[in-house]
Amino acid sequence: MIEFKGVSKKYSGNMIALSNINFFIDKGEFVFLVGPSGAGKSTILKLILKEEGPSSGEILVNGYDVTHMKPGDIPYYRRKLGVVFQDYKLLPEKTVYDNVAFALIVTGAQGSAIRKQVPMVLSLVGLSDKAYRYPRELSGGEQQRAAIARALVNNPTILIADEPTGNLDPDTAWGIMELISEINRRGTTVLVATHAKEIVTNMKKRVISLHKGNIVRDQTRGVYSDVVK
Amino acid sequence: MSLSNIRYYFKEGFSNLWHNRVMTIASISSVIAALFMLGIFSAMILNVDNIVSQIESQIEIRAFLKDDLSEENIKLLDAGIKSVEGIKEVTYESKEQALENFKKQLGDRSDLLAGLEGDNPMPASFIIKTTSPQVIESVVNAIKGMEGIDQVRYGKDIVEKILNLTYVIRIISLVLIVILIIISVVIIYNTIRITVYARRREITIMRYVGATDWFIRWPFIIEGAVLGFAGTIAALAILRISYSYAVEYLTRSFFVFGLLPASVVIDNIFLMLLSIGLIIGIMGSTLSIHRFLKV
Repeated sequence: MIEFKGVSKKYSGNMIALSNINFFIDKGEFVFLVGPSGAGKSTILKLILKEEGPSSGEILVNGYDVTHMKPGDIPYYRRKLGVVFQDYKLLPEKTVYDNVAFALIVTGAQGSAIRKQVPMVLSLVGLSDKAYRYPRELSGGEQQRAAIARALVNNPTILIADEPTGNLDPDTAWGIMELISEINRRGTTVLVATHAKEIVTNMKKRVISLHKGNIVRDQTRGVYSDVVK
Repeated sequence: MSLSNIRYYFKEGFSNLWHNRVMTIASISSVIAALFMLGIFSAMILNVDNIVSQIESQIEIRAFLKDDLSEENIKLLDAGIKSVEGIKEVTYESKEQALENFKKQLGDRSDLLAGLEGDNPMPASFIIKTTSPQVIESVVNAIKGMEGIDQVRYGKDIVEKILNLTYVIRIISLVLIVILIIISVVIIYNTIRITVYARRREITIMRYVGATDWFIRWPFIIEGAVLGFAGTIAALAILRISYSYAVEYLTRSFFVFGLLPASVVIDNIFLMLLSIGLIIGIMGSTLSIHRFLKV
């Protein structure tokens, strides 16, 4: 489902973001990507999303050879990946409904499909009654739910979340993680990059720990621990 | 490309124009300025061309004949001249006709020529018109060498002056037009860049959820095309009105006649201006989104 084979990423100025990363994430898994800032979590997500290419190594996702993908194939590849960010990235001038529908419209979806899909995902994330509110009228947790709805509306096989609870208080954060777990139980592969120690330790999922561009630990049912080598 | 996509592109394109009203007006104004100037120069060129072709049609070559040529020789010469390439018309003027014409020109003072009938000093000649001014030189050279031709004269200076004048006008207008077009492209480039920048969050999200580059581009291309189109139509309208006034004024106050009517000028430049306007708009927008879609 997601496979990194000997992946390294160097930025200009010889800054090494990742060195020789190897891991395999199977269909339906729930994986945390943890580590301090600058450990390489975001770089891994960027490589999966094909925002950047690796300096060396191979990346396979959903049967796509991401490393050698033609630029024209990238949009179609991304439609099978749902992405959630720390800052939600909702469009302020659009309602919740329109923000979610936007993800379908830009893929050229039919109006009938949009009218069916959007209410479905909004009810899944528990925002049916806030569909016609604007993002500024919602709490942080509700905004993140809207963003998750947008990520799910294209029926992705993989959900990628970059610090999804980073801006939320602990109680709200738990709600979001429960929602993501629920999505995982329905069959979507989930990859979450996070700092949230307590959540990672309590959820007992697979944890890949990064430190200075290296994988220092990869445990099923793992915990978050500060690794200093 | 489905119908709902096209509707989306136009809706977004026009909403960009509306959200960015000030720059929209600035861009349209710059297109108007550029294309209005382009229109003025085109109108000038069309009129100069028209005047030139009128003058050109009046330019004639005169080949004077040696005295004492037999009727037969003259006929041979006539046939010889007619066979030269680029000849439109050849007329023969006999010695007698030449004297008559000269008398007519002198009018009241024709008595000066009295008594010359017996010993007519005027030479017979062929009056030759060519198909275009460009071939005059070669025709003259061909005729000069013919048996029985004494001298060949033509309005060499006038021809050259006219050709030079049209050439200079064309070059100056071309340079100015290119500069104005570049300015318009730059202004549209900046306008679209501002909308692209204002919508960068949206573009980022579009990329994450899998919009194709063309899907992202179309609204901006439409925005640019609308700027170009609107500017062109306005420029043509202003041109039509101001040109009509200019023709009327020149005719009435300076007795300049023979200027082309506005409708002829507009008909001639309509498609050219419209294509240039659209190209300016599309080029400006394409350039400005190019950078944003590199990732």
